[in-house]
Amino acid sequence: MQVNDMLAVGLNHYLFLSAIIFSIGILTVLLRKNLIVILMGIELMLNAVNLSFIAFSHFSNNANGPVIVFFVMTLAAAEAGVGLALMVTIFKRFKVVDISIFEKLKN
Amino acid sequence: MITGYLFYMLAFLLILFSLGVLMHSSPLFSSLNLVGSMIVLSAMYYLLQVPFIAAVQLIVYAGAVMVLFVMVMMMFDLKHEIKIFSGGFISNAIKCGLAGFFAFTIGATAFMSTEMISGSAKVKTEVLSVKSMAQLLFKDYLIEFEVLGVILLLVAVGAVALSRIKGGTHAS
Repeated sequence: MQVNDMLAVGLNHYLFLSAIIFSIGILTVLLRKNLIVILMGIELMLNAVNLSFIAFSHFSNNANGPVIVFFVMTLAAAEAGVGLALMVTIFKRFKVVDISIFEKLKN
Repeated sequence: MITGYLFYMLAFLLILFSLGVLMHSSPLFSSLNLVGSMIVLSAMYYLLQVPFIAAVQLIVYAGAVMVLFVMVMMMFDLKHEIKIFSGGFISNAIKCGLAGFFAFTIGATAFMSTEMISGSAKVKTEVLSVKSMAQLLFKDYLIEFEVLGVILLLVAVGAVALSRIKGGTHAS
C-alpha cells in the first residue's frame, strides 16, 4: 500500500521536482562566475516553470498551459540570442567571460 | 504504475543533470549536462501527454538554443576554471541557505495542498492534439502570438546591433 501510494504520481510530485530544479537554477545564477553558465542557469529556471505549467494543465484538464509554455520557449530563445550577443561583445572588449570584471567600475 | 516508475527515474536523471550544470568546472560539460536535462524534460512532457510540446522542446531547446550556446562557446578560449564559484564561503553559504529555504517553501506548499490531486477525476486522459492547440493559439491567443513575432524581430535586430558596437562604458 505504501509503495502504491508513492507510485501514484500526482500534481505535488511534479511541483516538488519543479521547485528543486528552479532552486538549482537560482544557485547556478548566484554562485557561478562564468557568464555562459549563468545564462544556462536562467534557462534551467525557465524550464522548471514550464514543467509546472504542463503539470498544472495535465492535472486540471486545461489546454491553456501548453500554449503558455510555447510562448515561454520562444521568449527563452530570444533571451538566449540577446544574452549571447552581449556576451560576445563583452568578450571582444575585455577578453574574458567572467563576472569579476564588473567588480571594478572604473578602468 | 509504470508511469510512477518512469517519473521517478526521469526525476532522478533530471536532478542529476541539473546538478551537473551547477557543479561542472568546464562550461562545455555544463552545456552538455543542460542538453541532457532538456532531453529528460522532453520525455517528461511525453509522460504528461503533450507530445507536441515534447517535440518543440527537443527542436527548440536541445536543437537550436544549445547549438547557439556551443557555437558562442567556440569563439572564446575556455579552459577548466580553477575557481568556479564567485564570492567567499559565508556569502555562498547564505545563498545556498536562501535557495534551500525557497525550495522548502514551495515543496511544503505543494505537499500541503492535497486538494487538487485528490480530485483525480479531472486528470486528462486523452493526448492533447495539435489541432486543438492550434485553435487556441490562433483564436484565443492571437494578439499574444503576433506580439511574440514582433519581439522576435526586435531581438534579431538587437542582436545584430549589439554585435556591431565597438565601445563600452569603460575608457580604453
